[in-house]
Amino acid sequence: MVKMVVCIKQVPMVSELPWDPKTGTLQRDLAEGMINPACRSALEAALEIREAEGGEISVITMGPPAAEEVLREAIALGADHGVLLTDRRMAGGDTLATSYTLARAIEEACPDFDLVLCGSSTSDSETAQVGPQLAEELAIPGVAYIDTIKVSGRTVLMQRISDNFLETLEMSLPGLITVTTGVYTPRYVPLGGLQTAFAGADITCMDAARIGLDPERIGAKGSATRILNVYSPTAKKKNILLTGPPRRIVEQLFEQFDDKIGGAIGKDLKSSKKGS
Amino acid sequence: MDFNPCMKHKLIRKAVRMFAEAELGPIAHDIDRDACFPWEAIGKMRSLNFFGLQAPKEYGGAELDSISYAITIEEISRVSAAVGLCLTVHNSVGVFPIVRFGTAEQKRRFLPAMTSGEKIGAFCLTEANAGSDAGGVETIAVKDGDDYVVNGTKIFVTNGGVCGTAVIFAITDSQNPQKSAGAFIVERDTPGFTVGEIEDLCGMRANPVSSLFLEECRIPVTNLLGRVGDGMRIGLATLDTGRLGVAAQALGLAQAAFEDAVRYSKERQQFKKPISSFQTIQNYLADMATQIDAGRLLLYRACAVKDAGRPFGAEAAMAKLYCSEMASRVTGMAVQIHGGYGYSKEYDVERYFRDAKVTEIYEGTSEVHRMVIARAVLAQRT
Repeated sequence: MVKMVVCIKQVPMVSELPWDPKTGTLQRDLAEGMINPACRSALEAALEIREAEGGEISVITMGPPAAEEVLREAIALGADHGVLLTDRRMAGGDTLATSYTLARAIEEACPDFDLVLCGSSTSDSETAQVGPQLAEELAIPGVAYIDTIKVSGRTVLMQRISDNFLETLEMSLPGLITVTTGVYTPRYVPLGGLQTAFAGADITCMDAARIGLDPERIGAKGSATRILNVYSPTAKKKNILLTGPPRRIVEQLFEQFDDKIGGAIGKDLKSSKKGS
Repeated sequence: MDFNPCMKHKLIRKAVRMFAEAELGPIAHDIDRDACFPWEAIGKMRSLNFFGLQAPKEYGGAELDSISYAITIEEISRVSAAVGLCLTVHNSVGVFPIVRFGTAEQKRRFLPAMTSGEKIGAFCLTEANAGSDAGGVETIAVKDGDDYVVNGTKIFVTNGGVCGTAVIFAITDSQNPQKSAGAFIVERDTPGFTVGEIEDLCGMRANPVSSLFLEECRIPVTNLLGRVGDGMRIGLATLDTGRLGVAAQALGLAQAAFEDAVRYSKERQQFKKPISSFQTIQNYLADMATQIDAGRLLLYRACAVKDAGRPFGAEAAMAKLYCSEMASRVTGMAVQIHGGYGYSKEYDVERYFRDAKVTEIYEGTSEVHRMVIARAVLAQRT
């Protein structure tokens, strides 16, 4: 029996992303929401752990009231309970304020948890900070960027790819893991599950007062960082014509763009040149 | 009156779209070209409740409301109308009559294998001399002890080639066909029940539409839905529900064609401008968008009336009539916007165009639907 908490975030659906072409920013009010892909993998990991070891899964999210949708979807996928943290005072929080808020909410809603699972990063901000910061806030060990998890008793064995090496790690419970999108392929939502998620789902709604949060540490007020500007990177196109005999063209290609076109191919060509 | 989809309906759409685009999108073109039933994708749909959309949970169904059902069929058909066809026929005219008219024993016996998708359902009314005229059924069932011995031929049976359980309409008295019709549940392995050749059709080619033959086929009395004489009533009630599914299917096809047309019109350059900048093309797009919206509102209204427990036959007929004719128009406009490429099998709009036509024909032709609607209108007005 593993008592798990999965932190999930609602992010804008990338395939239907409405961009404002003038400002280069995302029109969030027009975007449809979805469960962040890595959070979906974290939930899949939790479901597979429960299938193997038994247990209970609570999903928790912080966001506007509409974020209830991702909790319902998680329950449709098999989570047992949902916790929605929604309060205008929580809005605009950076990763520090978010991890503080999540930690206190987890202590309030699921005090006897064994394992907290998070997505390794979110598709809308990509900081990858909330998971590790949350482990600090909860004062438990935390491991990031995990691909596979095996729970046995009070010990968790994990693997991750790090700098082209496969690392195997071990951690005692309680602990926190952030999961990548690499290995845990999320299952599809069963339609009967969706019907149940709206007919009788166990969802608790909490605001700052209920959790007893310090108002100085939440939302924009409690954030250590400020977002000054958000914009899409602009790609500049430049055409370059390489001239000369074919051999010279290829040599120029590697002289000028070796780092961009892949070192391995370049090295092969260089070594074959030496050999010839 | 709230025209905004609720959270549940939005999630149903997202969930089905995610599945359809990932699992059916890559094969939709090929299964149409090869007239091949996609067993592998169907296998993945089984555990996701696609085969028990509205059946009660106790029999393995998802117990969805009718708008959720329509959204599901719409989204599957937006990617592969042939798979949408398999689902709508299975759910609305295969499973539904057993849920609605079956005894508790019949439900226990037949539904779990159907809602799990292990057995695909079919609905067999049409015969060589019975189509729009449902009263012209000639398949005959003669009672013999605890069985009915059934003889006859059913044609144009959707899912015919892959069905595991079929609801078959037969008369028990050739002198009095209207009052002696019965609906029988027949399992594929019943001796005397055989599947004919798969039809070579214009569209919906991935669905194995076939004839079914019943020769001295002994069907237990316990497989009769309702009583002898209930056949017409069961058939018509079943078709009302089926019409919602066909309307949803047509709507999904139109939506797919519209999306492709918008995308292509923005990409395709003529006279050094995207063709979407020309008023002629804009007029097409405006007509397509408006008609799709009108169809969707008609369909969801019919579903809401059904879920409210009120008679919905006229509303379902209007939705089916409008959506099917609209889908033919919209897919035609999409081909036109694509020009020569639209007529090529390289582009999906050609498939949508072929698939759309039959929605005006099956589950009651447009002509029969106008008759149904006119009857309702004339009965309401003095």
